[in-house]
Amino acid sequence: MGSMGNRKALEMVRSMPRVSFVNIRDNPGSKKQKKIRGQGGSRGGESGRGRSGKSKRDTRPPIGYEGGTTPFYLRIPMFPFYKNFATRRQYLPVSLEKLQHLIDMGRIDPEEPIDVTSFVHAGAVRINVFDRVYGIHLTDEGADKFVAPVNLEVQWTSELSIAAVERSGGTISLGYYDPQSLDILSHPLQFFRRGQPIPKRLLPPKDLVDMYTDPSKRGYLSDPNQIKEDRLLLAQKFGYELPDLTKGSRRALHRLRKDPRQIFFGLQPGWIINLTDRAVLKPVDAELQEFYRA
Amino acid sequence: MFSRVLQRVCRQSYVNNQNVQYVLPVCRGCIASRFSSSEVADGSKDSATSPAFNHGSESLVLEREVACPPHLQKPQAWLESLETRESKKLAIVDLHPDVFGTFPRLDILHRNIEWQKVYKIIDVRKEKTRAECSGGGRKPWRQKGTGRARHGSIRSPIWLKGGKAHPPRGGRTYWYVLPAPIRAWGLRIAMSIKHAQDNLCIVDSLDIPSSDPQYLEDIAKERYWGESVLFVDDKPLEEMSENFMDAINKIKTYNIISTEGLNCYSLLKHETIVMTLDAVNFLELRLMFFTKQYGSPDLRQDLPILRSQLKMDPHRGRSYSSKE
Repeated sequence: MGSMGNRKALEMVRSMPRVSFVNIRDNPGSKKQKKIRGQGGSRGGESGRGRSGKSKRDTRPPIGYEGGTTPFYLRIPMFPFYKNFATRRQYLPVSLEKLQHLIDMGRIDPEEPIDVTSFVHAGAVRINVFDRVYGIHLTDEGADKFVAPVNLEVQWTSELSIAAVERSGGTISLGYYDPQSLDILSHPLQFFRRGQPIPKRLLPPKDLVDMYTDPSKRGYLSDPNQIKEDRLLLAQKFGYELPDLTKGSRRALHRLRKDPRQIFFGLQPGWIINLTDRAVLKPVDAELQEFYRA
Repeated sequence: MFSRVLQRVCRQSYVNNQNVQYVLPVCRGCIASRFSSSEVADGSKDSATSPAFNHGSESLVLEREVACPPHLQKPQAWLESLETRESKKLAIVDLHPDVFGTFPRLDILHRNIEWQKVYKIIDVRKEKTRAECSGGGRKPWRQKGTGRARHGSIRSPIWLKGGKAHPPRGGRTYWYVLPAPIRAWGLRIAMSIKHAQDNLCIVDSLDIPSSDPQYLEDIAKERYWGESVLFVDDKPLEEMSENFMDAINKIKTYNIISTEGLNCYSLLKHETIVMTLDAVNFLELRLMFFTKQYGSPDLRQDLPILRSQLKMDPHRGRSYSSKE
């Protein structure tokens, strides 16, 4: 029954004959009118194209034709405004406000590490690597209201977001995923079903190395000791007290970090997950083991 | 909901990596806890719909958690029994308003019925093209000079007994797949209409004392069920009670269907629907799943994988060990 409208409608149905095959129909306009040949209907005969001529015979000049003079759209020289635009990396934005909302609504569990998988399965983002999406951009809208202590891994963020997360007693790190790894991370079950070994996560390309080795951006390849120092500096800069992550019930959570070659927590590259038998198959061959460990 | 599943599948304990240890997710808690009907504010008065309400003697309302916002008015139905011929009302059952009280969109229902009728059609009609008609290779008369119209073949489409220009070529299918959310919506609408028109009966189970078909017919007469009855249970057909199956097999217009096969056509075709409480529980979860997918097509593929490979159905609350 729910809302009043539903209840009234169902009351009306209740007073009517039994709903069956003979008294239901689709909405008017749902079925498109078929093509009409011959002189019979409104679009029959000449089909709205008129008598002989270029309009009827589809031999009109193209749009923009100016009777022979160079058209406007050819007079203006080209300029590469959007050169390489299609190949640029995209990061899907998720604000701190949205993240807080997801945690409050129970769509993301703050007791577990939060990464791309969590966002995708909470329905916050839809990752399609063929759109050149390289991960998630944590924006700082809602930084004042963010209070959840989380272990967060994203691909792009700003100084204010880092400060907001660390002030709430959480940790944030930037981790690079190449497109194949990102696809696997976003759709884990569909990858496991393929029965392929988990690949090694690739290292970032040249132009991203600086970012991911930068402790002030909490890059995953940066020195943890420098990150520690930077946390203090950031706290001083924004004027909040830095919570102690070595104490409290969440200390184990905040220590969890993925290896640079690891896509999933607890699963190593080279392993095959057998969903049906609930088993993990690991490589036994020495060469393979060395390859995946590198 | 699935993130929790996946976190258990993907992020296994770093203590034991031998087997992917699967832990049954508390799926119902995930969504239901937000809107549990037992979480009514403390200030509210005791109402007949509150499951925690207790007269002191046995409560009339069945204690049943309906995962919907507490302010919504829930449709209610009697819980009956098939054990005795006389109608015995065991309790009142609260139903989910979006499953048994949704707006009666007849156009969606029509789309479902049409789809069910049409998608199986294979049209095997085949007619000849001008190439397949016998003869017609030679030019009937010369191009010019005869005074007659010019023609190239006696089997062209404009000729009598000529081939058809665009004939049906056998093996034409009208197959298409109606999106799963629309099919789930159709089921919700059909069940809401059946409930609104007093054609829905909820029973505790389909166990009957004897396998005499007359028993079921007497029950139907007693309870004004009408000519045709559709029984719906959550089990696969193999697991249903033998008494019941023997009785049903002898009555043409009484049919039984598992929740797996539930469809709008069957719901409309039969006058009365008799549904077990297990089926109601399952349908509320499964049909509401399609309204809560957050619009993500890539996550819809996870449910079939969970069911077929991991043998777990999040809407059944237990691991599936059946032959699926």
